[in-house]
Amino acid sequence: MLEIENLHVSVAGKPILKGLSLSVPEGEVHAIMGPNGAGKSTTSYTLAGREGYSVTNGTIRFKGEDITGLNPEERAARGIFLAFQYPLEIPGVSTINFLRTAINSQARLRGEAELDAVDFLKLVRGGAQKLKVSEEMLRRQLNVGFSGGEKKRNEILQMALLRPALAILDETDSGLDIDALKLVAEGVNALRAPDRSFLVITHYQRLLDYIVPDYVHILADGQIVKSGDKTLALQLEEQGYDAVIGQAA
Amino acid sequence: MIMGKVVSLERNLHPAAIAMPGLSSWASTMRERERIKFAALGMPNRRMEAWKYSDLAQSLRETRTGEWGTTAPAPAPGAFIAAFVDGQFDPVRSILPKSAIVGLPAVYADGHSPYADILSATNADDNHPVISMNLAGAEDGFVLHLRAGEVLQSPLHIHFEWSEGSAPAPEGQHLRLLLQLDAGAEATIVETHSGAPGLATIVTECRLADNARLTHFRFDHLAAPARQTAVTTGTLGENAFYKGFYLSRGAHFCRHDALLDLVGKGAAVEIDGAFLLADGRHCDNTTVITHTAANTTSHQAFRGVLGDKAEGVYQGCVRVRPDAQKTDARQMSRTLLLAPTARISTKPELEIFADDVKCGHGATAGELDANALFYLRARGIAEAEARALLIAAFIAETTATIADPALRATAEKIVADWLDRHAREVVHAQ
Repeated sequence: MLEIENLHVSVAGKPILKGLSLSVPEGEVHAIMGPNGAGKSTTSYTLAGREGYSVTNGTIRFKGEDITGLNPEERAARGIFLAFQYPLEIPGVSTINFLRTAINSQARLRGEAELDAVDFLKLVRGGAQKLKVSEEMLRRQLNVGFSGGEKKRNEILQMALLRPALAILDETDSGLDIDALKLVAEGVNALRAPDRSFLVITHYQRLLDYIVPDYVHILADGQIVKSGDKTLALQLEEQGYDAVIGQAA
Repeated sequence: MIMGKVVSLERNLHPAAIAMPGLSSWASTMRERERIKFAALGMPNRRMEAWKYSDLAQSLRETRTGEWGTTAPAPAPGAFIAAFVDGQFDPVRSILPKSAIVGLPAVYADGHSPYADILSATNADDNHPVISMNLAGAEDGFVLHLRAGEVLQSPLHIHFEWSEGSAPAPEGQHLRLLLQLDAGAEATIVETHSGAPGLATIVTECRLADNARLTHFRFDHLAAPARQTAVTTGTLGENAFYKGFYLSRGAHFCRHDALLDLVGKGAAVEIDGAFLLADGRHCDNTTVITHTAANTTSHQAFRGVLGDKAEGVYQGCVRVRPDAQKTDARQMSRTLLLAPTARISTKPELEIFADDVKCGHGATAGELDANALFYLRARGIAEAEARALLIAAFIAETTATIADPALRATAEKIVADWLDRHAREVVHAQ
């Protein structure tokens, strides 16, 4: 599904990723954990194709295709979804209008037919109910005045509707209390499927109690320094980054 | 060279002013007074403080380019219509509220016109150069007079259309309107402006008596080569309310001054405005709101979207007289710059002579939010479409203030048409 090879990325001329390599096969959930400044957010932004994140070396392959040079909307249309750590507030755009625009834009970019209004509403209402996103929330301006939990639920709703092949969750647990975290995790788990992969990026092990990964990778100073199964996350929780990374180095 | 043209305009106004047949003496006295005043003031230019960012004299010397044709937004079904084509009233296309309207030529011909005092007093103690030019030259227009408690049942659409080569500069064409609303009267007026006059001036005077309510839409839909400078002036009595909505696409030269004096206690002015400027167009929104009486309110909010080489101006002056305690005056200007060559000049001015007042002003100017743009693109919305969505959202906050659904739809359509043509243009700094 996703093959990252020797990825070097600079932001504003400063090297952040320094030879990151990672492979996420179809249907698997991989977690990337790392201390502050390791390059976690840079990894997610680079995979989503954000401007200003310059790939100076290496490649990103998705479903066998080199996507390193593609722009964000092209990657989204191919099935890459980034759930934002801090979803943006966009005044003047209703959530429902945004969802419809996104779904139809992706369909157009893929050369597929757009959804008509009735099918769209059916789809949205079904998805919204599962995530306890109210009709009122859908009518509100996108993320404006939403609580932290509402914003993250809205992200997961978008994921459910856009049905990506690869979902990247960037510090999805930040700013969530335990109830909101459980609700979000349930939403994610419901979307786990043999043809869908997840990359869960997080600082803390807590989220991985609820979204149980197949593999855990530790990112430090722009490289994966250690990989293992879910017990690696528990080990990190017990011993701390310094001890575990120290072992690796 | 420069002086030559300006002088020729002032000379040209002279024969125009005396040429109008059938003028009563008060009208010719008023016109002559303003003609002399304008000759002394001269064509507005950047050496005058209020015209620093909008130099009409300079504009008159420039060659105009761009498409000539535009289509005015259509009026809602059932609306009254007053049509002016190339500065002349067009009776065929007009559907007037007859008992309430009288044409300007008839008013000017009437030596005992009940409107003589008001029409003579305009600008008498002031020196607004555009009002002077307009009053000296205007031969057409109308007086709308609603008696106490009268409510104009449908909006009155006033169409100003200009064909190619009309109102040749520097003489120009000048139209004058008086909207007199007696106590408790109510009206909605919708001005639409289309075409490309060489130089057009329009002065709309609003006299709102106690408890009168006027809703005033201005849809500037001028063609790129148009030169127009309009003034809305007036006074508000006790608890009178003026609600303005100004939407402009700009032009070669496009300015509107709102000069409103809140003379009665509890009077309120609310103005929302938006300007969408592409391809080097100019638009100047100037407001001078004078709080003369106590407990008066003025709220202004303008939003601009400026494309390549566009020039936007917002000058907002609030004057609070010594008796105007408990004044609440706010003004806000937000501008989205879509190109590094776009330019916005904002000048708030507060002159406060009362001590118990709330006055606030703010201005922002910036590019589209890169984070928001990335968020939309990461959801698969193509860059051009994401930009259009964000620009539309920025302007939608202004059009959302329009209460009437038909007029809101008209405004939204003007915005949507503009966005279709211009919002997808991407001009990068590099």
